[in-house]
Amino acid sequence: MKFKIDDLTVYFPYEFIYPEQYEYMLELKRALDAKGHCLLEMPTGTGKTITLLSLITSYQLKHQKMGKLIYCTRTVHEMEKVLDELRTLQAYQEKELGKEAKMMALGLSSRKNLCIHPQVSGEGSRESVDAGCRKLTASWVRAIAVDNPNVETCGFFEGYERDGANALLPQGVYTLHDLRTFGRQKGWCPYFLARHMIQFANVVVYNYQYLLDPKVSGIISREMEKECVVVFDEAHNIDNVCIEALSVNIRQQTLDGATRNLSKVTQLIEKFKTTDANRLREEYNRLVEGLAQRGNLPGTDTWLANPALPDDILRESVPGNIRRAEHFVSFLKRLVQYLKGRLQTEQVESEGPVSFLNSLQSQAGIDQKTLKFCYDRLHSLLLTLEVTDTDEFMHIQCVCDFATLVGTYTRGFSIIIEPYDERMPNVPDPVLQLSCLDASLAIKPVFERFQSVVITSGTLSPIDLYPRLLNFNPVISRSFEMSLTRDCLCPMILTRGSDQLPVSTKFDMRSDPGVVRNYGRLLLEMVGAVPDGVVCFFVSYSYMDGIVNSWNEMGILQEVMQHKLVFIETQDVVETTLALDNYRRACDCGRGAVFFSVARGKVAEGIDFDRHYGRLVIMFGVPFQFTLSRILRARLEYLRDTFQINENDFLTFDAVRQAAQCVGRVIRSKSDYGMMIFADKRYNRHDKRSKLPAWILSHLRDAHLNLSTDMSLYIAREFLRRMAQPYDKTGAGARMTLLCQADLEKMNT
Amino acid sequence: MLSVEDDGDVEAEEAGRDMEAYERAYADDRSWEDLQEDESGRLRVVDVAQQQRQHRKRVAAMAGAHIQRGIIRYLYLLVDLSRAAGEMDFRPSRMGVVANCVEAFVREFFDQNPLSHLGIITLHNGVAQCLTDLSGSPETHIRALRANLECAGDASIQNAIDLARGLLCQIPTYAHRETLLIFSALSTCDPGDILEAVRRCKDANIRCSVVGLAAEIYICKLLCEQTGGNYSVATSETHLKDLIMEHAPPPPVLAESAVASLVRMGFPQRGAEDAVALCVCHGEVKMGGGYICPCCKARVCELPTECHICGLMLVSSPHLARSYHHLFPVPHFEELEGTAMANGRESEFKLCYGCQQKLPFPGGEVSGVRLVCPRCRQHFCYDCDLYIHESLHNCPGCESISSTSSLPDLQN
Ligand code: SF4
Ligand SMILES: [Zn+2]
Ligand SMILES: [Zn+2]
Ligand SMILES: [Zn+2]
Ligand SMILES: [Zn+2]
Repeated sequence: MKFKIDDLTVYFPYEFIYPEQYEYMLELKRALDAKGHCLLEMPTGTGKTITLLSLITSYQLKHQKMGKLIYCTRTVHEMEKVLDELRTLQAYQEKELGKEAKMMALGLSSRKNLCIHPQVSGEGSRESVDAGCRKLTASWVRAIAVDNPNVETCGFFEGYERDGANALLPQGVYTLHDLRTFGRQKGWCPYFLARHMIQFANVVVYNYQYLLDPKVSGIISREMEKECVVVFDEAHNIDNVCIEALSVNIRQQTLDGATRNLSKVTQLIEKFKTTDANRLREEYNRLVEGLAQRGNLPGTDTWLANPALPDDILRESVPGNIRRAEHFVSFLKRLVQYLKGRLQTEQVESEGPVSFLNSLQSQAGIDQKTLKFCYDRLHSLLLTLEVTDTDEFMHIQCVCDFATLVGTYTRGFSIIIEPYDERMPNVPDPVLQLSCLDASLAIKPVFERFQSVVITSGTLSPIDLYPRLLNFNPVISRSFEMSLTRDCLCPMILTRGSDQLPVSTKFDMRSDPGVVRNYGRLLLEMVGAVPDGVVCFFVSYSYMDGIVNSWNEMGILQEVMQHKLVFIETQDVVETTLALDNYRRACDCGRGAVFFSVARGKVAEGIDFDRHYGRLVIMFGVPFQFTLSRILRARLEYLRDTFQINENDFLTFDAVRQAAQCVGRVIRSKSDYGMMIFADKRYNRHDKRSKLPAWILSHLRDAHLNLSTDMSLYIAREFLRRMAQPYDKTGAGARMTLLCQADLEKMNT
Repeated sequence: MLSVEDDGDVEAEEAGRDMEAYERAYADDRSWEDLQEDESGRLRVVDVAQQQRQHRKRVAAMAGAHIQRGIIRYLYLLVDLSRAAGEMDFRPSRMGVVANCVEAFVREFFDQNPLSHLGIITLHNGVAQCLTDLSGSPETHIRALRANLECAGDASIQNAIDLARGLLCQIPTYAHRETLLIFSALSTCDPGDILEAVRRCKDANIRCSVVGLAAEIYICKLLCEQTGGNYSVATSETHLKDLIMEHAPPPPVLAESAVASLVRMGFPQRGAEDAVALCVCHGEVKMGGGYICPCCKARVCELPTECHICGLMLVSSPHLARSYHHLFPVPHFEELEGTAMANGRESEFKLCYGCQQKLPFPGGEVSGVRLVCPRCRQHFCYDCDLYIHESLHNCPGCESISSTSSLPDLQN
């Protein structure tokens, strides 16, 4: 349908719209009008994606000056879902507008997902596909290939170079799959084609990393004009993504590898000195002029620029002491040597970047400014030396990443050296961690560069904390509830076992056999009362292992298995996938199953347990982070000192959002229904409870607080029976849950 | 909007246009007026008329006006006697409640479907067992089930439907094959692929219905959807009985099997009161009563049944007559509401034509719905509507017309 918001005509591809979708559009439009950033929380299952897409593309149609829509997702799977929605939208726009509808949308991913070269695409990891491709497409390889037919190149790349770059592409929506098919058809490389297409597209869908991770982002984002609208979907963990993007871990293996890499580089330099000394000299000259000149390099040779670096560094020339290749190598050798020394330590050391730089200066004579250039200097060198198997130089790249970050930021980081893993003090496994403490650092360039940034997810509560963590000023921040035709959500807070003793995973209680037994009884009662799938989340792997073991010894697990099959998430991805597969099968055939999983794990983040795959989810305990972790301590301290965020507030916020994320896996659409049990006495406290997202809180009746096992069992039985009754999907009578075009017109007048 | 006047209220609609959207949201959704606290302290919407309307809707959906119905049914009752049937959330236990419901159902079934057969299969310990073969005698089934009320082990839906399918495949094709599963458990432990078993039931034209006792189970829903059956879940003991009873009237015939066919039947005479004869159904010498098969003169104790000697279907004429109402149902009564109710003739229709109780009208003290028979235009209350359609099977209004002079009027 087509309707107006103020003077904007919105094209929405469905007959009906939920009231919350409409409101979402109103707020979003206000943010776009104000050219500002916004934070919007709306539960999953309410059609958030299509709402965003249809408003923003309609806005683009009206305002020709507006830039692209950059839609960031976390996974390839989500990306495909967005593109599917876009396709529906495009079909509708075309129907309504004919030729006027201009939509060119594409998904962009790494070579690993786009490459169609028969051998290269078969490589396992992202790095090896990149390297494999480079071997076939680097400018010097292609230069040799011109004279020597025995040198292999990639036919798809040549095809693209010949015709693709200048060809005009038809409008439409290109998923990764479409790009590959299209590439095969035309004989063009989909990866380079996609990168080329970006400049014509008005919607680009890609991974968070392309904007946030300096190791991946770069050129691609650089091409985007200021007027772009950036959307981060499912952004409840965006602060963690930001932090990870700027954190580096260095282990013994890394340093050993780096040493090997350096001797290889030395050999290469020697070789070039005798065969092609010119190349080295050219590089030297280029470096004198500054890194910004890099723009002149051929497309396949450019490395991804580092957007986290302040712009001036690109205009500066590289410091004299590392301009010459040999000098740079010996500089790195000294750095690696120094780091090796630091790893030898017997106790935990923790310091800020400033003191680290000081000791680096005094002990190894390495200065901050030089460090800053390491990342780019290394890539320039590898290029000059015509290195194509970049994946082998991973280790030295890691060291250079570290160097650049330490050299660039004097605040917001901490360097922690631990001689062994906290959990296994006997096994020496030293690690030097450069951990970013400030999520706003990675996202700052994004906020600064783009006009409007939309951060949205099903769980962003409490919504006022995100602007502080990310250090920005949203013009709009709102949380929407879900309009439902029936009460299909049943959250409960369970504080006591059937013996009335409190349950909790609090440190002093978690190994108490009484608590373990009470949790076990809870599970047992529930698997006996809930059909099909039940999902359990535990606070950590070690806690899960422990409690499942105890249940096994107590015989509880055996009893559970009389009702349902039991599947467990492990740290092994393949094993977990298999377990999930079998879990689903057991739910389909009526056998029923329980899935044990871990908060913050892969399953908690990405797997849906909708419909009969999850009628109940039990969150055992409050998933606090491991508070003894030094990195966390450092971050808490930093948050307190810099953003005045209270330690406990942050920890609670983080734990509750993870819990909300876990329980949210069971409801993925409005026609679905599911129960959620928060099993820990601490959830009953107002400070925890109030941090749950509004769409859960609004269903959390007073009668569902402070329950014991038998009370919750009673509620569960009754709820399940109620939900099994037939109901009117359009909303009984006139509890308005669907609006049609006429309704909206009425509202507008 | 949960208040009474939902669609008929034109004036309110007009006024609504001038209101701000948010105001209207409140004006429309005056749901707080209908709130009441239930026993668990939760607020619940209570609206008599709405509830009555919903029930009527359900009934109407089941009794679509002119669908062909299968009068001759062969139904297997699959009774779950697994561990879960021993649970006590229904008093005295699920099993006890189920047994009572089954008893009532079996009687009602033969009452409404005098020409049909029924058998019982029980599910326990992972196996399915045929408790009684298909037959027309309610007492045998009831007795057999009462004697075997013990629960243990897991339930296997696959075993049960496979067994029922094997047995139902032998019956003549004019009959309707059905199973009704009364399921206490929440899972099924099957030896093989249940999805395959569902497919085979579908291919064999067996209509599988399920009444659940605890919660909606995906596989049961799938089974019903695939085979054209009906799936419902009981919320209480009485609801359970209602749901099971809903299966007593003959189901609509699936289009592909809706071929009319002729069936031979016998109408036996009642035996003399003082005659002594050997009955064929029990193999005992009985004194008086009983019925004599018109074909082979064997004596049976109960009707309807199939003669054990010659296999003729034996029915009594009232039985047959009772089956008719499924074919010629009383028309569905229409609801009068809002402005339509105030057409000036209220004074004439203050009372229900059926029971002479006061009828609801706008502003009146009686709440509920007011219904009118589309043929005789008499007004009825909700209770009479139920009674007329579910038990009486003819309309007192129409009957009194046809018995007086205005019969030609009706034919126009
Ligand atoms: S150019 Fe394209 S198709 Fe060829 S190897 Fe590289 S990514 Fe693959
Ligand atoms: Zn007898
Ligand atoms: Zn006979
Ligand atoms: Zn009456
Ligand atoms: Zn009548």
